Order: sequence, then structure tokens, then C-alpha cells
Amino acid sequence: MEPLRQTEKKYCSLALTTAIVVGFIFILAAQKALAKGLILGTLFSIFNFILIGETLPRRIASSSSKKSCFLALGSIFFRYTLMAVPVVTAIRSENYNLWTAIAGIFMVQLMILADHLRDYFFSTDSTRKDALWKN
Amino acid sequence: MDWDIQTLTKVSAFAGAGMCMGFGAIGAAIGEGMTAAQANEAVSRSPEQSGDIFKCMLVGQAVAESASIFALVVAMILLFTNFSPSYIMVAVLLSSGLSMGLGAIGSGVGSGFPAGAACIGMARQPAMSGRLMTNMLIGSAVCQTPAIFALVTSFILIFTDFSSYPLSPTWAAILGAGLSAGLAAIGPGIGGGLVAQTSCLGIARQPKMVTPVTNLMLLGQAVSQTTAIYGLLISFILMFKSFPASAEWAPAAALLAAGLCMGIGAIGPGIGEGMAAQKAVDGVARNSEAIGDLTRIMLVGQAVAESTGIYSLVIALVLIFVV
Repeated sequence: MEPLRQTEKKYCSLALTTAIVVGFIFILAAQKALAKGLILGTLFSIFNFILIGETLPRRIASSSSKKSCFLALGSIFFRYTLMAVPVVTAIRSENYNLWTAIAGIFMVQLMILADHLRDYFFSTDSTRKDALWKN
Repeated sequence: MDWDIQTLTKVSAFAGAGMCMGFGAIGAAIGEGMTAAQANEAVSRSPEQSGDIFKCMLVGQAVAESASIFALVVAMILLFTNFSPSYIMVAVLLSSGLSMGLGAIGSGVGSGFPAGAACIGMARQPAMSGRLMTNMLIGSAVCQTPAIFALVTSFILIFTDFSSYPLSPTWAAILGAGLSAGLAAIGPGIGGGLVAQTSCLGIARQPKMVTPVTNLMLLGQAVSQTTAIYGLLISFILMFKSFPASAEWAPAAALLAAGLCMGIGAIGPGIGEGMAAQKAVDGVARNSEAIGDLTRIMLVGQAVAESTGIYSLVIALVLIFVV
């Protein structure tokens, strides 16, 4: 399952780096709550993504269908509970901004999309670019 | 059991949150299940590609899940925020929950189509894995647009102060707004997914046609999303137009009916237009020389399918402005 691990590593580190950089900018602009909300949301987004990746082979390779079903359902319940934590924390505490916490929980998805869109628009592959212009 | 306004507001917040997450889970679960089913088929066809297929399934499921995470966010806000108790707030909380819950169904199902098709495509054409993943992600992201419209409507409903508006018919306008944006998102989400699914399969079939197939997919998806925009439009009119106070039921019923009319009326055209674009994309992948004719037929077909959505829009506008 090395490709899965590589994918997890790539997008999780991208998401965390982006959150830290944007959070640092917020802190410099004296917006600590915005920074904390974003980083909190991103951390949980990363946990969620890692959990999807780690339970995926177990779900498929499980010896019995009962165990597989239990793993799949358990994973969904656990992950959704996990994703609720930053939102509830941001609603309850003024130290975390709700909007940036919400943006944070989509950080991994945003990074996946941004990475592929960058490849699509700024690819240096000349064959692909030629094809793009010809068509 | 006493039913004072505070209790009623809390009950509506809980009911709104329950409907939001309950409905919101339907689409994503179906979409993710379809992705997994197709991934299984792909692995059984080409076991040596299992690494790439799992990777595609992981990324596809993560994107398909976004719509239900939108629903989760709205449900949490409804559950854990202290709302000022009022009768209008009761309608606001129910409407925002319905809007996001219903709005997540189509996008969740729709996003599952391209993710599954990309897995199948990778088994057929391993050399195109990277491009299939990009195409799948673009297609899935566009499928999320109607759910984002519903999310925007939910947030506007929750964070706008409607307390200065007259209770009747505003309660009906608010409920209509949520239903319009939520229901109208179902069809376009599924329709957009159908187009993206075929484009992934088309790229795997004919790798040379990757650019026209992706471009036609985007055009087809853009047109299939228009009825979701009508739903959003009616929702905005219902939320932001001030209606004179009325003690009668008829004006309130007209506003509620406007939201329902547009919401339900947008489901069919969204799916139908997606089907039209699906076959056009498939045709381009099979016969690149017919791209001009195929695009023309697709657009004409979509325009005709769109007409029923336009009828719904017209009737909704009549219900709001004339009746």
C-alpha cells in the first residue's frame, strides 16, 4: 500500500504547510482567532484523510464481510464525530474563528484539487500542451 | 409538556440539524459506495494496478464526502449555537437544515460516478492514470457546486437577521427559500456526475481525445448546473424581497409553493441535461470527427430539457410577484 501512504503524506504535508503559512500571515495581522481556527480545522481534516487511507485496505482485505462492514461503518461514525470537533470547538470558544475552522476542514480536499489543477493548467509536458492547442 | 417559544426554537434547531445530516448522508454514502464498487471491479480486472486504483478511490471518496461534510458543518452550527427565540427563527432553522441536507444528496451521488469511472479507466488504460485522476477531480469538484449553493443559502438563512420582517408570510418565504435551493441542487449534482463519469471512461478508451473530452465535459456540466442556479435565484428572491404583512394563508402558501415549484422542477432537467451531455462526451471519445455535430446536438437537447426548468422558474416568479 505504498502509493496510498505516499498520497497521504503528499497531501497532508501540503495541507499542513499551507495552514501554517496562512495562519502565520493571520498572526502577523493580529488575527489570532482566524489562525487558530484554520490550523485546528486543518489538523482534523488531515486526521480524517489519514483515517480514510488507513482503513481502506483493512476494509477491503478483511477476512469476513461482517468484519469489513463493521470496519466501514465504524470508520464513518468515528470520522464524522472527529470532523465535528473543530466546528463545535469554534462555536463554543471565541479563541477559534468558526469560518476559518470550516475552511480548514476542507484543506486536504482543496490541496488535492489545487495540485491537479496546477498540473492541468501549468503542465510543462510539451505533448500535452501541443494537444491542448491543436484541439 | 410546555411548548413555549424557547422550546419550539430548540426543537426546530434539533429537527433542522437531524434533517440536515440525515438527508446529507444519503448522497455521499451512495457515491462512496459506487466508487468502492467500481474500484473492486477495476482491481479484479487489473490486479497489478491495485496501488493506483486504491489511490484514486481514496482521493475520489475524499472529494465525494465533501457534500456530507457541508451538511455536518451546518448541523453542528444548528445544534450548538444559541439562537434568539422567535417564530421566524423556527422557520429559519428548519429551512437551513432542509436546504443543506437536500442539497448534499445530488452532489454526493454525482461525485461518486467519476471517481468510480476513473478507477475502471485506470484498469483499462494505466498509462493515463494521472490524467484520469485530474479529470475525475475536476468533474467531481464541479459536481459539488449545487451543494455549495445550498450551503450558501443555509448560511445566509442562519446569519441574517429576519426579526424585523412580519411573521406572515415571511415564515413561508424562508421555508420556500431553503426548499428551492436544496431540492434544485439534487438533479444538477447527479447530472454533472453522469457527464464526468463518461468523460473518465472516454479518456481511458481514447487517450488522444483527452482535451476535447474534458472541455466538452465542462461545457455539459456547466449547462446542467443552470437549474441549480434558478433554484438559488428563487431562494435569494424569497430571502431578500420584503413581503407585506398578511394575516391570510394564501400569500404564505404562494411563497412556499414558489420554492417547492422551483426546487422540484429543477430535479428532472438537471439529470436530463446530464444524460444529453453524457452521450455527447461518449460520442466524442468514440468518433472525434463528429465533435461539431455532437456538441450542437448536445446543446439543442439540453436546451429542450432545460425548458421544463424554465417553466418552473416562470411559475415560481408568478407565484412570488403576481399571485
